[in-house]
Amino acid sequence: MTPQMPAWLDPSPWLDGRESTPADVERALGCDAPGPRELAALLSPAAHPFMEVMAQHARALTQRHFGRTISMYAPLYLANYCTNGCAYCGFASDRVQPRRRLELPEAEDELAMLKGMGFEEVLLLTGERTSHAGFDYLLECVSLAARRFHAVGIEAFPMTTREYALLAEAGCTGVTLYQETYDPRQYDRLHRWGPKKDYLDRLDAPARAMEAGMRTVGLGVLLGLSDPAFDAICLLRHAVHLRRIHWKSGITLSFPRLRPQSGNFAAMFPVDEAWLAQLVFAVRVVLPDVPLLLSTRERPEFRDGMAGLGISKMSAGSRTSVGGYGEAEPMTEGQFQVSDTRSVPEFCSMLRNRGLEPVFKNWDSVFRDAAGGEHG
Amino acid sequence: MERQDKAQDAWVVGGHRFSSRLLMGTGKFQDAETMVRAVLASRAQIVTVALRRVGRIPREDDMLGPLGELKGITLMPNTSGARNASEAIRAARLGRELCGSPFVKVEIHPNPHHLMPDPIETFEAAKILAAEGFVVMPYMPADPVLAKRLEDVGCASLMPLGSAIGSGRGLATVEMLRLILRDARIPVIVDAGLRSPSEAAAALEMGCDAVLVNSAVAAAGDPVAMAAAFAQAVKAGRDAHRAGLMPQGGGTALATSPLTAFLSEEGQ
Repeated sequence: MTPQMPAWLDPSPWLDGRESTPADVERALGCDAPGPRELAALLSPAAHPFMEVMAQHARALTQRHFGRTISMYAPLYLANYCTNGCAYCGFASDRVQPRRRLELPEAEDELAMLKGMGFEEVLLLTGERTSHAGFDYLLECVSLAARRFHAVGIEAFPMTTREYALLAEAGCTGVTLYQETYDPRQYDRLHRWGPKKDYLDRLDAPARAMEAGMRTVGLGVLLGLSDPAFDAICLLRHAVHLRRIHWKSGITLSFPRLRPQSGNFAAMFPVDEAWLAQLVFAVRVVLPDVPLLLSTRERPEFRDGMAGLGISKMSAGSRTSVGGYGEAEPMTEGQFQVSDTRSVPEFCSMLRNRGLEPVFKNWDSVFRDAAGGEHG
Repeated sequence: MERQDKAQDAWVVGGHRFSSRLLMGTGKFQDAETMVRAVLASRAQIVTVALRRVGRIPREDDMLGPLGELKGITLMPNTSGARNASEAIRAARLGRELCGSPFVKVEIHPNPHHLMPDPIETFEAAKILAAEGFVVMPYMPADPVLAKRLEDVGCASLMPLGSAIGSGRGLATVEMLRLILRDARIPVIVDAGLRSPSEAAAALEMGCDAVLVNSAVAAAGDPVAMAAAFAQAVKAGRDAHRAGLMPQGGGTALATSPLTAFLSEEGQ
């Protein structure tokens, strides 16, 4: 059964079929409090002639709020066991793929390698909750990472508020959970089986993480699965909804785009680089103070161009397979193909040449240790 | 409490004397070299550093290394990133350890998007840190009542915002700032929201003791030149305040039938 979209999320009032005009785009760019209407205009074909103007707006807004800096983080794949049937994912349960998880000493080695590369923020990833890699395993890995890293995020399965609270207590500072697509029909079609088929449970999970006291929650859609304008407006509405309720947590947005990968899944709504850029510029205009992320899925030239043009946080030197950092060259297939294979120093020198400082440490574990409200 | 030294035009905060009335933030710069050159060009004597950007072991993006080598600079660690009083207090203690400075800019903004200071948590943290002997300089909403409350618990200065951090909206809180200035017995430093040197000059003209800028310099076309421009503007604003602005109004033409004409009739 196709799940029902909650009213606070529904983007249809802004996708009424009326085509935006250049005047709508101009109004959106000059608007004091831009919202879904303005985002729809900035994402419309009418905005194409404004791309340069939008890029300049995006850069100015990014510079004002984040300065001439790019925050740096690295993903670490802990396990690729999965019981879900996501049609687009290289780790879906029907893919022929060697499955494994990092044992704790192995995880420790990978963490040490990332630390050696200079990172202070790590994002730990797993697939669906399984007996091989369930909550307790993740909790142990978070504790391990929190001993070395100032900021520790997870990107895993949806959890209960209590579980999120336990992770926060163990040193987890962020939860990333993409809805993949907000279009309920497409969601139902693409998530063929497994717990992830529960659209509403996944939709509610970021709010649970915030309720549990998580510092930041990362939202995103996998571009290519549905009408990207539909998903973009939902993403904005989701962020705005959470911001109203959980005002002590931060939101970040990511823009993963479906690229060729081990599943050989062809995007049903392909998004090209120009559209992705337009989306990032438009989102920056409507959300001037939200960190926007871009991963190594994108090729170097595109990443270089987007750094600071809306984008304020990036990964580099990433491996997307389990145990990938221990391999001299990527040996096994990852969840997605890394298009930007440059090393961390190469990436940082590119940033510096463009007048941007890579910031590895932008958090301190001292804040985490103080959790609980005691003044002593 | 002493707010300024008339002869030298120095100002005093927490028993420390400063002549520069421009304080600098150190985040948001494109590299450490530009940041250091901007700090030098600003002639700032107090420089604030976010503890979250400081490592226990020196590293390339660490703010402390390059600043530590500068002479005549007082480091003021800030607790940016703290969501509540207890986090800020811990950060302040760690900051004192790492920077060797009794100064602390208490900065508590639970909402990481608009970064507005939490008045309740700021008050709690300020009270405890002042009692522990810190030179407490709270970043605060431009609220005249909160200003007096913070003064009462032993803060060394008040740092009300001109407008939201990084917004560049200037002195949006000007009327509240006037009330704070009217009654303050400790230095008032406008912190956050300034975009142009003229706004800094305006803050000093109206009687603020100093201003703190970061984004306005770091995100300027030429940060080093902008830092120098702010230094000049702050000096001009301060000089104007000391010189005394001419009175406002009074220049309107006299009405042909003045309302007070009846007053002269008595004596005739």
